[in-house]
Amino acid sequence: MSEIQKLTDEEIVEKVRSNDSDLYAVIIERYKNKLLRYATNLIHDNDRASHIVQDSLIKAYININGFNTKKKFSSWIYRIVHNEAMNEIKKYQKETPILDDFDFESEEDTIKEFEQKEAVMLVEKCLNSIPLIYSEPLSLYYLDEKSYEEISDILRIPMGTVAIRISRAKKLMKNICQKN
Amino acid sequence: MSKELKKITENIMDQIHDKKIKMRPKIYFIAGSVLTFVGLVSSIIISVFLIGLIRFSLRTHGPIADYRLDQILSSFPWWAPVFALIGLTVGIWLLRKYDFSFKINFKIIIIGFILTVFASGWIIDSIGLNDLLIRRGPMQGIMRQHNTK
Repeated sequence: MSEIQKLTDEEIVEKVRSNDSDLYAVIIERYKNKLLRYATNLIHDNDRASHIVQDSLIKAYININGFNTKKKFSSWIYRIVHNEAMNEIKKYQKETPILDDFDFESEEDTIKEFEQKEAVMLVEKCLNSIPLIYSEPLSLYYLDEKSYEEISDILRIPMGTVAIRISRAKKLMKNICQKN
Repeated sequence: MSKELKKITENIMDQIHDKKIKMRPKIYFIAGSVLTFVGLVSSIIISVFLIGLIRFSLRTHGPIADYRLDQILSSFPWWAPVFALIGLTVGIWLLRKYDFSFKINFKIIIIGFILTVFASGWIIDSIGLNDLLIRRGPMQGIMRQHNTK
């Protein structure tokens, strides 16, 4: 099993395609938690996020032969989750609930905190209070540690737009989170 | 973490083992891409020829505008724009449905398509390719019809 763990996602996908479908479990294990956090940040509902993650992983398996192994699997699977989450949001366009443990604790300087590891917790709390078009790239960048290029692939927006949105998101976070 | 997520691996793998979910075969994606590409290229070629034909007809028939228009309309291959429309619609639908990995800006594709059609039509007409088409090529019947009336 340790040999398998050393394989890249793309190598595992190749093996899954060539009749070793059991290895898809490794992919699921690698991604389910990250995808759940990502989906939860988008729709703010754990149960619906779980369904989205499961549906996305099933959809990825069904369409796995359509994946180009020269590209990054992580961008592909995140893109599928993004699509599923957007469909879900459109379906339930009423107000999105805020998580039970959500609060708006203030900090002295949120921007400075971004540079430190502890900022992750603060980011998760404040993310829900800014518009989705800003919170999504910010979440991908800081929480999922995606590069601008990967975020650009996932959201299908130019890299310049990714940079602008992240910059605006940081300003919004600073304003909103410091006020509360 | 929800209970459902803890079971997610088990749920999905059970469905795979029970054959409730199956991979779409590779040929499905290859065929889709090839058909879309062929459809788009064919649509561009047909549209380019039609634009060349219209400009050609307008130039070679003198000042009787209504007569020229009737001539073009009577021999216009109406299947061609239908083909182009279906090709583009199905192509875009397929790309959107099954492609998750590439950034595709459909506005740019459509604008690029229209510009390519008009630019190519104008270039073909300007360099005199139409004259060649009178003598040979798939459009010779229509071209001759316009040229001799």
